[in-house]
Amino acid sequence: MSRWLAASSGILIAVGAISAVILVVLIGLALLGHAPTTVLTTWFHGAAGSWTRLALSVQEAGPLLLTGLAAAVAFRCGVWNIGAEGQFLIGAVTMVAFGTVLLIPGPGWLILSIVLILSAFSGAAWALLATGLERWRGVPVVLSTILLNFIAVAVVGMLVQGPLHDPTTTAPQTALMAEQMRLPVLVEGTRLHLGVLLAAIIAVALWLVLKRTTIGFEVQVVGLNPDAARLMGMPVGARQVLVMAVSGGLAGFAGAAHVAGVTGMLSGSPVSYGYAGIAVAMLGRLHPLGILVAALFLGMLSTGASGLERRLGIPHDLGDVVQGLLVLAVLVGGGITARRALRPQAEST
Amino acid sequence: MNDALMVVIAAQAVTAAVPLVLAGTGELLAQRAGMLNVGIEGLLLTGCIAGFTGAALGGCAWIGLAAAIIAAALLAALFAWATVVMRCDQIVTGMAINLLAVGGSGTAWLVAQGQGYAELPANAGFSRGIVPGLSDATQAWLRDLPFIGPLVFDQYGLALAMALIAATAWWLLVRTRIGVIIHALGDAPDACAANGIAVRRWRVGLVILAGALAGAAGAYLSIMRTHGFSPLMTGGMGFVVLALVIFGRWHVGGLVAACLGFGVIDALQSHLQSRGLNAVIPYQVFQALPFIVALIALAAMRRGTSGPRLLGQAWPTER
Repeated sequence: MSRWLAASSGILIAVGAISAVILVVLIGLALLGHAPTTVLTTWFHGAAGSWTRLALSVQEAGPLLLTGLAAAVAFRCGVWNIGAEGQFLIGAVTMVAFGTVLLIPGPGWLILSIVLILSAFSGAAWALLATGLERWRGVPVVLSTILLNFIAVAVVGMLVQGPLHDPTTTAPQTALMAEQMRLPVLVEGTRLHLGVLLAAIIAVALWLVLKRTTIGFEVQVVGLNPDAARLMGMPVGARQVLVMAVSGGLAGFAGAAHVAGVTGMLSGSPVSYGYAGIAVAMLGRLHPLGILVAALFLGMLSTGASGLERRLGIPHDLGDVVQGLLVLAVLVGGGITARRALRPQAEST
Repeated sequence: MNDALMVVIAAQAVTAAVPLVLAGTGELLAQRAGMLNVGIEGLLLTGCIAGFTGAALGGCAWIGLAAAIIAAALLAALFAWATVVMRCDQIVTGMAINLLAVGGSGTAWLVAQGQGYAELPANAGFSRGIVPGLSDATQAWLRDLPFIGPLVFDQYGLALAMALIAATAWWLLVRTRIGVIIHALGDAPDACAANGIAVRRWRVGLVILAGALAGAAGAYLSIMRTHGFSPLMTGGMGFVVLALVIFGRWHVGGLVAACLGFGVIDALQSHLQSRGLNAVIPYQVFQALPFIVALIALAAMRRGTSGPRLLGQAWPTER
């Protein structure tokens, strides 16, 4: 019974936060001369007005779900991985490399699966750089992961304009990936791809792991109180490393699935699924199934916002404002308590 | 390298270090009191756009500076309310502040462009080498002083303010009762409370002060150094500031030294780039350099921190 109460209070907080933010945004737009009803209907048309638009929203939710899970897994263990942005890019560039210049001959589905896993590993490796710096040199993860984001942008930019550059154009972009390295499309006439379905399966799997397994339990105890976890004989350090690897792997997979499913290449234009993942995680209250719903909502928010930009000329940047407000509203409403952050966990005893 | 070139590079280093020291001093004071604001990047960006629009609309650089300080202080106040009063997690709140600032500045920039304010009017920015209140002749004489001239007086006005602010912060932290209180806020807030010090009020105040300083640093970027705004123009400088605060071991002297060292690297790389090195080395290397340097600096410093004991933790610990 109390479990149900806790779950419903979490849902209430999220719904309350969403309502409050929508209200604030509508009032703000009304002051700028946009009638709330027009804004809402235009937004809904953009987000779910037709099957194609809905498919686009779900497709958009895919990477958000994965980066949201990446943030949530880490945060629940008290590991401040703010680096999903960089890990996403590293995963994406690995996928593109194996889809263009490093093509491996063999049965398509097998090679594609191997490369997807490899891309996830590359994201995990990028994340573990931060863990390594924390373990050996005491560099706080919250800072190193952010700094590594900017380094990843430069590394990927260098690869896109260097070894991976499409020789047929001067634009800063890679060649299109080979057809056998693309993720199959689920719904004819859209780009809703297999990666999004995989992301949903991963969310459910992660929920079961956190809920039903010893490792999942340990991860959460480490997050709540590392000292208590240590006293109980849990391998605190090992769990933090594992969580970082999983978190980076999820973000890397998100990047790989995005290029293999949607764009088919990388260009100089920025993506911000990594940072948005933090908003998704908070809105989903760090619960894998909550994050599934939150990602769908934010996916609709994003496609609806591009409709608003096209039809009413409301800048797409407003989407970032909404995300920021949503995080604040969930935080303020939910009272997720603060904990010690900048000190390496290993030294906190 | 000859002497003249060294002076040029040193002067450029000071120019580059000014916003770092300004924002860093504020962040340092807040962190000493236990408040970790990773939203400083967003505060800088807010300062940039508010400074730009203020100066463009008001037609006067001072209005821009004031707008930048006020806007960033307000955003910092939001952070302070959420973290100190509502006890929200400081890191996630800081990232939310960053999202807000990225979206808000982007929206404001599009609106400003739409209204025809894409560029700063000619006389609405600060110019170099002007010390308010001195006659032109005195200023020219000061600028022509050997070594000191380019380093100290051929800078934007905020360079002098920066020196003053950093010195004041040092004096406050090291020599005064206020410094003792600020240290205690981050190390032993319970002891502060027991001595009748309003922990939360102090923390809110210091966070807002840090926001104002970050806003000034943002204005420095938009209406002094570049005379314009471009989306995401801070490009991660706020996160570098966080690294510099740690690298300076939460001491004002260490911070200033770290910022100046960083400024030297910045000046050297732009000099080398202009010398044709960018033909050999991809520009992304230079783009990543500040962050690589920051990471290496953090990794190279001796372990064992002298930092605030309860950084990032809400007070009181139990509600």
